[in-house]
Amino acid sequence: MDADTALPSRAPTATTNERGSSHGPLSLAARAAIATSFVLAGFLGLVGLTLTQTTKARALRGLQDRLENFAIAYITNTDVNRYGKLLPPETAPNPNFSRPGSGLYAVALGDNGYHWESSSAIGRDFNFLKPLEPGQSVFVGPIDTRMGRLYYYSYGVAFDTLDKKSVRLTVMVAQTEDQLEGENAVFRHTLVIWLSILGVMLIVLQLLLLRWSLTPLRKVASDMSRVERGDSEQLDSQYPLELTGLTERINAFITNEREQRTRYRHTLADLAHSLKTPLAVIRSQLESANGEDDAARRNSVLDQVRRMNELVAYQLSRAATSGRQTFASAVPIAGHAEDLVQGLEKVYAAKNVLCEFDIEDGAVFYGEQGDLLELMGNLLENAFKWAGHRVLLVVRMRHEAGRQRSGLLLSVEDDGPGVAADNIEKVLQRGVRGDERVQGHGIGLSIVQDIVHAYQGELVVDRSPEFGGARFSVSLAAT
Amino acid sequence: MRILLVEDEAPLRETLAARLKRDGFAVDAAQDGEEGIYLGREVPFDLAIIDLGLPKMSGMDLVKALREHGQRYPILILTARGSWQDKVEGLKHGADDYLVKPFHVEELLARINALVRRASGWSKPILACGMIKLDTTAQTVTVEGKLVDLTSYEYKVLEYLMLHAGELVSKADLTEHIYQQDFDRDSNVLEVFIGRLRRKLDPEGTLKPIETVRGRGYRFAIPRTDGDDE
Repeated sequence: MDADTALPSRAPTATTNERGSSHGPLSLAARAAIATSFVLAGFLGLVGLTLTQTTKARALRGLQDRLENFAIAYITNTDVNRYGKLLPPETAPNPNFSRPGSGLYAVALGDNGYHWESSSAIGRDFNFLKPLEPGQSVFVGPIDTRMGRLYYYSYGVAFDTLDKKSVRLTVMVAQTEDQLEGENAVFRHTLVIWLSILGVMLIVLQLLLLRWSLTPLRKVASDMSRVERGDSEQLDSQYPLELTGLTERINAFITNEREQRTRYRHTLADLAHSLKTPLAVIRSQLESANGEDDAARRNSVLDQVRRMNELVAYQLSRAATSGRQTFASAVPIAGHAEDLVQGLEKVYAAKNVLCEFDIEDGAVFYGEQGDLLELMGNLLENAFKWAGHRVLLVVRMRHEAGRQRSGLLLSVEDDGPGVAADNIEKVLQRGVRGDERVQGHGIGLSIVQDIVHAYQGELVVDRSPEFGGARFSVSLAAT
Repeated sequence: MRILLVEDEAPLRETLAARLKRDGFAVDAAQDGEEGIYLGREVPFDLAIIDLGLPKMSGMDLVKALREHGQRYPILILTARGSWQDKVEGLKHGADDYLVKPFHVEELLARINALVRRASGWSKPILACGMIKLDTTAQTVTVEGKLVDLTSYEYKVLEYLMLHAGELVSKADLTEHIYQQDFDRDSNVLEVFIGRLRRKLDPEGTLKPIETVRGRGYRFAIPRTDGDDE
């Protein structure tokens, strides 16, 4: 990782809310509204269609009943005299039968050329009418006639005369279609109005529901902007179950970001402070220069310069340590270890060091690749430096139930002189702060300590059971 | 020893070159990668020092290009950043050692000596051929345990011959690796040095360490003593 460029890019980018933008994806509310509208329109349309169809069928049956009743009324009113002559009805069951062109017509045909028409039917042509056998009835329609489309009901009966003869009569009652259609149209109109009102009400209700269920999302957004403004440390409201996964991740990210920034700030402060001491020494050395031993002064200045250089290197690497990262990818270990050891074997070729690996298959490090390289590089170089002829690198994964990322156990041992028991404490304490470190020692171990600390791990120094030299073990917990 | 130094920072380049020359190295300095690749391909160097952050062509690419071109001499890389990522990358691409800037010049000299020695197959800092021992760290020569007083050029000639003990070293080779390019090759300075070395190492004329192969060059005749005397 490039430490120089990584510094400024860490700042979180502000999230802008593009509400109502015509180019961005549709808002959740708009999506739901559109979807609901389509579903509602389809549903209500189907309901309307079904209702219209059933009503039409019922209206037709109603019409048939009505016409049948009229026909029976006419038959009841018709009589036959003792000579077998049919007597036309005297009253009409509905005033419309008397109004010409009313659309309601009645015609009767009988034996012996009997022909009767209601007043409304006078002068109209009903030649499509056929006499029926007694007891027979038909309901027909709509048929095209000169009076328009018609429905008619005709019924055949036989009257018994006194001389035991039978006189047949067929009564037909007809109605034009527009009357029926008129009724249907009124019904359809009412239906459409009510269905529309229902649809609008449902959409409004749906939008209100949606607004209510999206409230937590708006809450997250407003909490986020509070965090951005610095009014709040975290997303700290209670969120519904579906959102906690998201908010917890965001919180982890925020914490990570904040820790990173704190680390930079501390590093910068530590660096600035720790550089002051050597600068002061150099200054006093130069100020008190009055022909003293030049070589001694030069050595002293060189000493301070070396110290400053170490401080800068140490603090820089500390700032570059990224620490345990929420979203860090898994870095495979074996390949990097191979590269490091091949490089070190080249550099320490004169020592003829034999470095063995014992790396678990598929072992990975969850973090920055640079951190892993620093960790292993410094430990391995240290081992190569002190080893007689043998170095061993052991890497084990530590799987834990319920944790997504397994932990890691990484140890480097050598057959060198090792670290004396009462020196271990001192060796480990060096890494605490740059300017408190014992002079003259490399900064490698301090860097290792800082990385281990940043990943909330542990570094243990003891004696190698196999080689008798030092063993440095780093353990990182599963997360 | 002829060294290629590729470093873009002028003060550091000049200081280093001056210091290396003072220690008896022949130094060809380049200020960018392109000049480095030109010199590195043309001149038979004994070692190259290459800074990783170079203009025109990065140090990493320069190392790669030299190795691809078939140059086998040891390469030491200088890096300002000092991250393991850089070091591993450099070593993987053919460098043999690294130094993190800023460094002590003594440290650099020690690394150079070790690399040159290793490249000629010596694993110990003391080159031993029979009674004659040359300590590359202290830059001293002893014969039968007695210190021999040599000038810096005499030392360099002997070091080169002993590094290649048993091999024929042509006069041109010897001149090229010991002196700067502008050295007058026709003079008989080399013969004079060899003559003086023979007298100092072998005043009685019994050891005969350096033999002359007529018309071709010189050979250090005493075989290497690769004993572990530590």
